[in-house]
Amino acid sequence: MRKKRVFIPLYKDEVAPRFDLAAEVLIADVSFEEGGVVSENILLSQPSVNNLCDLALQKEVDVVICGGIEEQYYHFLRWKRMEVLDNVAGRALSVLDRFSQGTLKAGDILFSTEAVHAR
Amino acid sequence: MNLVPPALLASLDLPAILDDLPIGMAVLDREGRVLTVNTALERLTGFTREQARGVPCRHVVRSGLCQCSCPAEEPQDTDIVNRLRRRIPVRISAIPVRDVSGQELFRLDLVEDLSAIRDLERRLEEPGAIGKLVGKSRAMERILRLLPAMAQSAAPVLVVGETGTGKDAVAEAIHKLSPRSREPFVRVDCGPMSPESLDAALFGRGQTGGEISAGAFQRARGGTVYLSDVGELPDALQARLLKFLDEGTMTVAPEGAPTPSHVRLIASSPSEPEELVRANRLHQDLASRLSAVRLHLPPLRERREDIEFLLNHFLGFFSAKFRKNITGFTPKARLLLLAHDYPGNVRELRNLVEYAVMVCPRTSIPPECLPAHLLNHLAVPGGGT
Repeated sequence: MRKKRVFIPLYKDEVAPRFDLAAEVLIADVSFEEGGVVSENILLSQPSVNNLCDLALQKEVDVVICGGIEEQYYHFLRWKRMEVLDNVAGRALSVLDRFSQGTLKAGDILFSTEAVHAR
Repeated sequence: MNLVPPALLASLDLPAILDDLPIGMAVLDREGRVLTVNTALERLTGFTREQARGVPCRHVVRSGLCQCSCPAEEPQDTDIVNRLRRRIPVRISAIPVRDVSGQELFRLDLVEDLSAIRDLERRLEEPGAIGKLVGKSRAMERILRLLPAMAQSAAPVLVVGETGTGKDAVAEAIHKLSPRSREPFVRVDCGPMSPESLDAALFGRGQTGGEISAGAFQRARGGTVYLSDVGELPDALQARLLKFLDEGTMTVAPEGAPTPSHVRLIASSPSEPEELVRANRLHQDLASRLSAVRLHLPPLRERREDIEFLLNHFLGFFSAKFRKNITGFTPKARLLLLAHDYPGNVRELRNLVEYAVMVCPRTSIPPECLPAHLLNHLAVPGGGT
């Protein structure tokens, strides 16, 4: 059974705009064949990019889905053999849903842009 | 009451109005979603206005304030992380745009790039260092004091020093401190290369269609060309270089007309120019021209007081790079490192510390974590801590 552990730093119910400022994380086990998602939320005592990297390592994460992340942390996570889908914006559950369908890419913005009228 | 009809708002070509502004600006609706951004903010954040439209601004600007004190009532210094994964220091100000009845229609977020200011502040404040050049000895402090003055001149500079003393770092520091720092710094290694290839690498080469394949002088524009190991330059190229230094013009082979060039030349050599002239490796005229400003970088064995400072400097640097909690060397390892004569100078010391930090599993580096060749060279009995 193909399963991936996904790590999403959160801001409220959204993917945190910045990896380094997230104080909450959603960790989900996504099963592609069965379409199931099992998840847990972890609250950190304070935002800390080093603690986030350590947590991702400790939890043996396969994929990190985040908003903005600095180059050095991006490469650190990649070096630790994690896939990093960065510059993703949207509600965490929509993002997770898109991921479980196998269509989420780095740079995806999942907010609705209706009713915005300036050019 | 909204006095501005929505149709009128929709017809405004806001990007055209805002694009001429030199600082980043986002126009936000009352819910904080992006209506548009100007080109300065596109460059700063890496998001195009099409990508940013309709997205909550915290996902576009991504500042340190977005999750705690947004909108900022007063201008505040913070940073952003852009789409290219760069952290950029910025100042953010929010300006509400209201109608005559006081109702907020839009909000303008101004995002000012503070990179250049922060860079300048860091250069002025950093003790014992300019760019990659570090040192605390009297000799290095003198050099660090001289560099800003040398940087202001347009005269050629010759940097002389053994291998690994930091000649490239000096050349880069002079460029970065100079008024040319926004222009390119182009390095050309005069080492093993055929005269024709080196000629093209330096002065460019004319193509059959009349186009020019750019060389270092074209690529540097008004910046700096750095010739490393200038004593290896073939005779014909030395003559062309001398012509450039005399007349301020250069020609593109095979038959280009002389064109003015405003680059600054920095050259380096492991030997003094007098030695190179005696060995017929450098023309006397070129040696005199290049030596207008000469900087001698002493080898590490002549400034031993720098060794401990450099050990600590590189230990901190590599511990952070490899995310290791290494706070120092054991007393025995420190003694060994201080006793070594470093024939490869700062480069050797740096490589040695990098290796030790990489392999060390403890908080203090013991002799066992030093490279074997160093231990053999110093004949350490036992190699314990």
